[in-house]
Amino acid sequence: MDATTETTSLEREITIAASPETVWQFLVDPDKATLWMGERATFDARPGGAWSIDVIAGATASGEFVELDPPHRLVYTWGWEPSGAEANPVPPGSSTIEIELTPDGDGTTLRFTHRDLPNAKATESHMHGWDHYLARLAVIATGGDAGRDPWLDGPMK
Amino acid sequence: MEAALKAIAEPRRRQILELVRDGELAAGEIAAHFDVTRPAVSQHLNVLKEAGLVTERRNGTRRLYRARPEGLAELKAFLEGFWDDRLDALKREAEKEERAKHGRND
Repeated sequence: MDATTETTSLEREITIAASPETVWQFLVDPDKATLWMGERATFDARPGGAWSIDVIAGATASGEFVELDPPHRLVYTWGWEPSGAEANPVPPGSSTIEIELTPDGDGTTLRFTHRDLPNAKATESHMHGWDHYLARLAVIATGGDAGRDPWLDGPMK
Repeated sequence: MEAALKAIAEPRRRQILELVRDGELAAGEIAAHFDVTRPAVSQHLNVLKEAGLVTERRNGTRRLYRARPEGLAELKAFLEGFWDDRLDALKREAEKEERAKHGRND
């Protein structure tokens, strides 16, 4: 636990023309979850149960289910599994995703919140070189704002 | 874009990108930085080339490589849209299933 690490969060809201019950299945059923995220998934969908998803080759996200209130509210922790000796700004268990489903006519409003993400500054100090790309992926993929990549601004002479 | 993500998921390929970020290097010069065989390095260079992250130029018998900035810019734009893309995909799949459940009578 690093109490000095500054954190940030990300929020999104979308409407889906499907019932909360249908949407819920896409959040907790690994076969359906991989239709919208990752290549392989294992879920033990109960409080304290573990989940993991191979998001891309060599990058596995994992965490634990915290709260399941079908089909209204789902809370789970999120992070990236360590890969080699690289700095990992978002290790498993370090951030939390909260998804709320509210009926909206025949459809559903989905509110997505990703909390406790390290901010760009806290992350930047751990990284250098091209290794920072996967670490940036970790921050951005988990919804954080890694800021504009300074390398993209400089001409490659 | 998946090719670019897979390309950067390998630590040695990120090291190669770092080497050719600021200037062009020959395959042999790149290989000299690593403990692995030259064919292994060539294979990494091929993956990077096919993902659009490096360019290759022939000069006589030498092959010269350098990072391709546009490839990196595309990669970054993709990464930034990660959750937006995922949530869009969730919406699409859930709606597809809902339509299937209710038949095609609308």
